[in-house]
Order: sequence, then structure tokens, then C-alpha cells
Amino acid sequence: MTDTIELLETIGKNASLRHAATDELAYALERADASEALMAAALVGDSALLAVELGQKPMKVNHDVHAPGHEEEPEQAPGEADPLLPAHPDQGGSVRDQ
Amino acid sequence: MTLGSHLTPLARSHIEQADVVFAALSDHVVELWLQRMHPDVRSLQPYYAEGKSRLKTYREWVELMMAEVRAGKRVCGVFYGHPGIFAWSPHKAIEVARAEGYEAHMEPGISAEDCLYADLGIDPGRFGCQHFEASQLLFYERRIDPAGYLVLWQAALVGDRSLARFETGSEYRQVLVDLLARDYPLDHEITIYRGATLPIERPRVRRIALRELPYVPLAAEETVVLPPAETLKPNLAMRERLEALDRLNEASTITS
Repeated sequence: MTDTIELLETIGKNASLRHAATDELAYALERADASEALMAAALVGDSALLAVELGQKPMKVNHDVHAPGHEEEPEQAPGEADPLLPAHPDQGGSVRDQ
Repeated sequence: MTLGSHLTPLARSHIEQADVVFAALSDHVVELWLQRMHPDVRSLQPYYAEGKSRLKTYREWVELMMAEVRAGKRVCGVFYGHPGIFAWSPHKAIEVARAEGYEAHMEPGISAEDCLYADLGIDPGRFGCQHFEASQLLFYERRIDPAGYLVLWQAALVGDRSLARFETGSEYRQVLVDLLARDYPLDHEITIYRGATLPIERPRVRRIALRELPYVPLAAEETVVLPPAETLKPNLAMRERLEALDRLNEASTITS
């Protein structure tokens, strides 16, 4: 059986496979000896079916703090050490500007 | 960003040449893919927690990366999509590193915005295109231009002031709809979009009426797109000024 992560990378890189019709992709995966999970996931275009083989790990997707109303808030409680500052003051100045 | 398709050669080289790689990705399978590129990939996902301010999480991420930088390591932070778009910690990490005298820079990536233009067939240059984090529209007085496209990011958690939730309810989205109804009719067709993360997926595109937005399922990674509701209105005053300038230029060309 061919490694599923490698096969996914191959599909992502290959112009013929990336936008292939479902039956064409299924044929190519069968020839490549893809896992049952990948075959099933590709058939319906549902990556959730890969969890059977690769496990499941819920991922959070928000990386911003653009939610308004926080710009003026102090980023730390009074007296709390600033984790963004270097351990020694002579290593660099304050970078607090937000 | 799609696995296998959208990682630039230079970004991959940075990953491979780093001493340690930190990863904030949107998909478990993509994280597994990244682990094939480097033996020391450290996921930043465990620092998220329901009820914990995301600001605290992001500050922890910056400190984790900086601790390795200060230890003399070559550090690569890998963020899904474009690391500088809707992402606080990559900008902050670079700022802190530079302030401390370290060399740091950001490699651009292919973001959900880039995929959106391709998958929905939108050219932002045609009518113009505004992008807002959805909550920002509610908390600030912003000027929406309904003659152009309007793209709203993170609408699933619109109105969240706590930074500690990962979704808000339909009543919050109703507030957003009420605001948008000032500029758009409620039956205006809008698009809910999600790009493909794995190459076996297709982009997810749903079209609904604006009034339905509070009542449809909406995931954090989905983006709301409002097409123009008005035609472009000629700016007659500016056109007259430009014509006058053209005439002046023509006159000076003839006399010279």
C-alpha cells in the first residue's frame, strides 16, 4: 500500500490529478495501490473519511486578534512579567506598541 | 492553501533548513504532511483552549518561538494560508525578533483570499473589494461600499468580544445582517465559501439570501462574500477636473 500522505502530495502537485474527474482519480489511486480510506475519501471528496487511517485531531483556525474592543486593553496585568521581553534588559528594548 | 499545491519552493526550503519548526495549521493531515519535511515540528494547537483568551494563546506562541531564537536556533513558524493575513503572532514574532537584533522575515503564502478569487471567479480590480473581519463591522463605524465586493472573514464568530469563543450564535449573525441591510436588500444573494485544504476536496460554495445568514450552519473557516448591489456611479466632478487637466496638457504640447 502506498503512503497516503505521499499520495495526497502527489495529487496536489499533479495538474492531471488535482482536477481529475472522480472516476479518473479513483482509477489512478487504485493503480497507485492507495489505502481504502484514501480511496473512499477521494470518491466523495470528503477528507473526514481519512480519519480512519490518519486519526482525528480537531484544529482551531483563528489566529488573529482583530476582534474589536481590545486595542486599548493592557496586554498584561499590572506587575505581571512581560513574556515578550528578553530576560535581560540589555538584550533589547520594549516592543510593546499595541 | 491546498496540501501539495500551494507551498512555495522557498517556503519549503525554509522549513527544511530550520532547526525547529512551529506549526499553526488548520488541518491534522496537513500537520502530518509537514512532519514529513522536518523531524522537529511542534504543533501550536495545544495552546488553544475554550474559554481562554486567544490573545493569551498567541502571546504564548510568540514566546515559544522567541525562546528558541534566543537559544540560537534557526526557527520557522508555519501558518496555514498566508502567515501575515488574519494572524497576529507571525507579525509579532518578527517584530520582537528584529527588536532584539535577530534577522527575521515573512514568506508570503497562498491564502484563502487567493483561492477565493480563483474559485469564485472574482477579480477584485473590476468593482473593488473590501475585506473586513466580520466583528470589526459591528464594533466600529465603517463605510461599506455596496458598489464593490464585500468579503467578511470569520463570520462564524461575529460579535465575539471575549476572544475566548470559537463561534457565536445566530442572534449575533442577525445583528450583522441588520447592519448589512442598511446597504443591501435582504434578498441579495451572497456566497459562503471555503477553499479546499486537501487535494481530494472541492471548494465548498453555497449561495443563500442575505436574510438567511443567521440560520445556516457556518464554520469558522468559511467566508461570506457579498457581490455588488449597486452599479458604479460616475464621479462627474473628478472627470471634469481630469478633462481640464487633459486640455491643459494638450495645449502645452501644441505650443511647445
